[in-house]
Amino acid sequence: MERQSRTSRLTIFAAVLGVTAILLVSCGEAKVDFNADVKPILNKRCISCHGGVKRNGNFSLLFRHEALDTTESGKPAIIPFNAAHSEMIRRLTLKDPEERMPYKEESLSEHEIDILRRWIDQGAEWGKHWAYVPVKSVDVPLTIMAAQSGSPPDAHFAQNEIDHFVLSKLAESQLAPSPPATKATLMRRVYLDLTGLPPTPEQAAKFLDNNHPDAYTQLVDTLLASPHFGEKWASWWLDLARYSDTKGYERDVGRNIWRYRDWVINAINDDMPFDQFTIEQLAGDLLPNPTDDQLIATAFHRNTMNNDEGGTEDEEFRVAALLDRVNTTWEVWQSTTMGCVQCHSHPYDPFVHKDYFRSLAFFNNTRDEDTHGEHPKLRVYDDQATAKVRAIRDWVKNIEGEREASAVTQFLKTLEPKYHPHDFDEFDNGELIDTKWLGVRHNGSARLKQINLTNKDYVLFPYLAFREGGILEIRADRRNGPLLARQALPATSGWKRKMLRVNLAKTEGVRDLYFLFRNPALNPGEVVADIEWFAFRREIPGKQFPGYQKVENDFAALLDLGVEGTPVMIENTPEQFRKTHIFERGNWLVRGEEVTPGVPEILNPFNGRYTPNRLGYAQWLVSPENPLTSRTVVNRIWEQLFGNGIVETLEDFGTQGAIPSHQELLDWLSHRLMHDHRWSLKLLIRDIVLSGTYRQDSKVRPDHLEKDPWNRLLARSPRIRLTAEQVRDQALAVSGLLSKKMYGKPVMPYQPQGIWNSVWSGEYWELSKDEDQYRRSLYTYSKRTSPYPAFMMFDGSTREVCVSRRIRTNTPLQALVTLNDSSHVIAARTLASVCTTTETTTPRQRINAMYKRILYTDMKPEKLAIMEELYSQALMSFKNANLAAQKYLARDTATPDNAALVVVAQALLNLDEVLNKE
Amino acid sequence: MMEPLQHISRRHFLRESAAGLGTIALGSLLGCGVPREQQSVAALTDPFAARPPHFPGRARRVIYLHMAGAPSQLELFDFKPELARLDNELCPPSLLDGKKFAFIRGVPRMLGPKAVFKQRGQSGAYISDHLPHFASVADDVAFLKGVYTDQFNHAPAQLYVHTGSPRLGRPSIGSWVTYGLGSENSNLPGFVVLTSGGKTPDAGKSIWGNGFLPSVYQGVQCRSEGDPVLFLSDPEGMDRETKKKMIDAINGVNRVHHADAGDPETLTRIAQYEMAYQMQITVPEVMNINNEPEHIHKLYGTTPGESSFANNCLLARKLVEKDVRFVQLFDWGWDSHGTDESLAIDIGFRNKCREIDRAMTALILDLKQRGLLDETLVVWGGEFGRTPMQENRENKNNPFLGRDHHVEAFTMWMAGAGIKGGTTWGETDEIGYYPVNGKVSLHDVQATILHQLGLDHEKLTYHFQGRPFRLTDVSGKPISEILI
Repeated sequence: MERQSRTSRLTIFAAVLGVTAILLVSCGEAKVDFNADVKPILNKRCISCHGGVKRNGNFSLLFRHEALDTTESGKPAIIPFNAAHSEMIRRLTLKDPEERMPYKEESLSEHEIDILRRWIDQGAEWGKHWAYVPVKSVDVPLTIMAAQSGSPPDAHFAQNEIDHFVLSKLAESQLAPSPPATKATLMRRVYLDLTGLPPTPEQAAKFLDNNHPDAYTQLVDTLLASPHFGEKWASWWLDLARYSDTKGYERDVGRNIWRYRDWVINAINDDMPFDQFTIEQLAGDLLPNPTDDQLIATAFHRNTMNNDEGGTEDEEFRVAALLDRVNTTWEVWQSTTMGCVQCHSHPYDPFVHKDYFRSLAFFNNTRDEDTHGEHPKLRVYDDQATAKVRAIRDWVKNIEGEREASAVTQFLKTLEPKYHPHDFDEFDNGELIDTKWLGVRHNGSARLKQINLTNKDYVLFPYLAFREGGILEIRADRRNGPLLARQALPATSGWKRKMLRVNLAKTEGVRDLYFLFRNPALNPGEVVADIEWFAFRREIPGKQFPGYQKVENDFAALLDLGVEGTPVMIENTPEQFRKTHIFERGNWLVRGEEVTPGVPEILNPFNGRYTPNRLGYAQWLVSPENPLTSRTVVNRIWEQLFGNGIVETLEDFGTQGAIPSHQELLDWLSHRLMHDHRWSLKLLIRDIVLSGTYRQDSKVRPDHLEKDPWNRLLARSPRIRLTAEQVRDQALAVSGLLSKKMYGKPVMPYQPQGIWNSVWSGEYWELSKDEDQYRRSLYTYSKRTSPYPAFMMFDGSTREVCVSRRIRTNTPLQALVTLNDSSHVIAARTLASVCTTTETTTPRQRINAMYKRILYTDMKPEKLAIMEELYSQALMSFKNANLAAQKYLARDTATPDNAALVVVAQALLNLDEVLNKE
Repeated sequence: MMEPLQHISRRHFLRESAAGLGTIALGSLLGCGVPREQQSVAALTDPFAARPPHFPGRARRVIYLHMAGAPSQLELFDFKPELARLDNELCPPSLLDGKKFAFIRGVPRMLGPKAVFKQRGQSGAYISDHLPHFASVADDVAFLKGVYTDQFNHAPAQLYVHTGSPRLGRPSIGSWVTYGLGSENSNLPGFVVLTSGGKTPDAGKSIWGNGFLPSVYQGVQCRSEGDPVLFLSDPEGMDRETKKKMIDAINGVNRVHHADAGDPETLTRIAQYEMAYQMQITVPEVMNINNEPEHIHKLYGTTPGESSFANNCLLARKLVEKDVRFVQLFDWGWDSHGTDESLAIDIGFRNKCREIDRAMTALILDLKQRGLLDETLVVWGGEFGRTPMQENRENKNNPFLGRDHHVEAFTMWMAGAGIKGGTTWGETDEIGYYPVNGKVSLHDVQATILHQLGLDHEKLTYHFQGRPFRLTDVSGKPISEILI
């Protein structure tokens, strides 16, 4: 309420005076600003030789303490308050090309040298880069506004605080904002921005006929509550999450991870606060008693690629996934290019080599190990099985307490902790089958090192055996050491692995285990069994109580259930703990110093408030003291709505990134997001789309092109080409074909034959049936090495790595998609058919009706005339060509008139104003 | 030849314009960024405008022949009589200690060359009887016998060859080249990919992907079945005339709209629709080999209508003739492990050699007779080599003779465009295990290809995730020993 009154007061103020000019108050002889004046010179001219990577002459300009330090010559290059005696200034001004800096490059300009000289004389202070300064509350600019006669176009511009920030910048460039967009244009824009879909004719009529002063606000609130809101914004997040339905690399076979996509849709629709949204995705498994949803959220970092190619080493690709997690986390939440620090200290920004591995240490202890089965996976149980899980949990809890109950539940849900065949060594007459599964032949063996057997009663494993007669022996310490188990391996049927439990002789301590296999009936090349993993378990407690047998039976039956699973994160047990080392020069095989979890010094401290694990790390990221998270998310959302971030380099807030176009606005929004909106993204988006800045017309005026061709200052609303998904969804929506069905397994709409030809993969594109052909593009199966072609041509992402922004291009291949792809032809046919009614009798009326269905306004007569002409020409040619109309419409009863109208429908769907959001 | 002054100013332009090429292309595509003086907005919006190289290059275009699966250098070019003598001996531990192989386990046996070698041409280069036709052009090609990699799995190794990095996500070499030089034919894509052997290469379409470069620079796969380029054909029942009228009408309305909305991007779209129409005519023409004369079909061993490496070689010639900048051929089926007959080093491998021998030779001869070889760089290779040892997957004998993946040394060749024909650079030890001299990295090979095109591999960069990226990462230098 308070905010509203303040807004309206400002609005009235602006309306009365007319905001056309702001007199800037200049404030005397200013101190040289390190960030604005000095750092750009250092970055551009000095730091490539005197920074994080190279430090020639033992001189580095990355940190103040380094810059003031003694150099190779024995004296410091910078003496604060004394430019005259500072070696740096002397070397910049020498004549001798061997001595003068920058070495063998053009010298610095007089002006640049003067800045550096004054900066040193003022004390050579290092300013903190804007992005690392904590977010504080910002005053909405108090502007001195000059009245102007007449009715300035911006008289009704300012709708909320955002607009005052924008206006003050516009005034500096003597630009005026644009008048508001027409109601129809604004409606289409906000529908596309909030739900990704254009309005239906009914929705459009409802809004266009609503003359209430709050009609637009009401519309915005309706759209924020629409289930399609979550679908649209999930598309945005899934690019960052590098979500895909396949594993990547050579075989690139399917991955069952769509439940994560649905989790994102729901979380966004529920307006889950961004801090919680962050914590659940990065560390949902570490929350107390995590729900299935919280586990599924952790699939965020299971979207890393997995290499199934025969002969690959799992550890190499586990590490590759780990590096991707570090880079992605830093990019997505901190707009920081941590990848630079993987091999050496950051060349420009205050991050050192070690920081990378301190981050990596947070992620280095999860159970996933690039296995073919993509373990760990959350097993999806039906209601009946879920009830059994709960009953077992309760049983254990009653007897042993919460800790053991959680452990048993975790095992039932995720089959963790367990060991994989790649943990074995000392193979004798055995190997990993296709470098994946344990396969030992007759009289062969393999060793599993360092297993803690204290309190372990049995080992459990899923196996295949094609012949009867197999025997497994497990011995401790040596091949012929103490016998822990001897067990027959009955033949299994087909390709379904059978779960086998092998009781172990009571053993204490950490031991090496030898697995010996025998089956004299086999041919020399055959393996006795093919085993996927091993879990060492304790009996379920409570043998002495009635009902135990049922609990145990249920436990075994649940494990043997063939259920689908979603890859999730689970933390290592203490026995499986991995130490983290620096990789020398980024090479994972060359291990350096051991490191513990931690964060770069320039950011908010990772102090005792946080546990040194993923959960603590996630909490640290969303702490209000973290200077980057809120700015990052505000900037990303701004970019989704305006086509450009306030910081254009969405991926990089460092000193090499772009300078914010409206830094105070960014800070104001960030502060508001955290403190007023409690991390609600819906409220943030609401603020932005209700601003006058957002509601402007998008017409490009000549003075725009002259003063601000890239629209950084927002004197107009941007014109942005629709995304790949939207191009398709819009065509389906306006023709009425679009299915509004939400969620579920990915679908395979039409794509040309022969697109998928992956090696060693039996998978193929199986055309979805009925309405599944016309689902929103979000649900289209995404295959990394063979993405949906029409999306790729419109700059879609392959989802191989995290993508912060899609670069929009404009190419002839895009025209071929919208002109010739049969999905677009079908949409045009349907559009023409729904606009052929008894109310529209002339071609002119029908063309206008189609146009109106797409753009919600009548077609200008000049444009309409061109389309009418096309109609006549097409009609003529269909009349002259036998059966052409029938072929074009794929319908025996089609007439030349029908076909000519479809030609026009296709043309309309290809118009620039249709492919763009205006 | 360019004037020296022009030359300097172009280099200056590329080096000094803010962030070089990156800003210009990006700025134009994003509709944002720092506008440069004297560059009108409209002029910035054609990402394919031909751009001057860093320095005058010998090559204007590249045909890259990749044998996906990695052919054996030991049966083709790297003649090792000593290995024949050691055939079937147990491999000494010195060759195994500390090494990782994709499939070899335990102690394998050595495998002598399964081919007959002869010296060919003036240069006396060894080429085996598997490639009788190719032997006739020995003096036109330069062999690199000491190429090495550090990736022993197909997908990462192929990515390394084509994107300079074994992980997914980087732009491919053809994308870098079209980004750097633009295209000289606006009616055809600047970077065309042709595949044969029935499969996409192991690393999938990512090896001709644009990575973080704008998607206009991705390779366009031309296909011999279905539409030669996806979505190229008009919808059934629509004739060319109507399509032309339709595009005219779209552009007509767009012009009216541009007068209202004033967005320069609309003008670009108008141009792209014109170009799309032209491509619909040009691509089927160039992809049709029916009208080639009989002697050309004989030369290449082509059969119209088939999907084959030979057809692709002929298409490659037609494409470069039309000034397509980068033509990439992938032929699948070279992974001779000995796990079945088609992958046996003495059976399937021979057949694969027969499939390529005549055609790749014809490509060189045909380019030469048309005067195109001088300005077309032809590159041939796999993603790694094959072991001098016989593969013993899961520590037992494979059903057929085969070799595992070998990263230490393999052979590539180049021809045309400033390459010194009849040279060999690099030599391996007596069993072909390690290079003993002339060891070159894949980044060196990539730097060489860019160098021949007049591009400095250290300067062809693109700003992404906060730093400039380049094809050759942080290493590589052109292999001057094979350059004229």
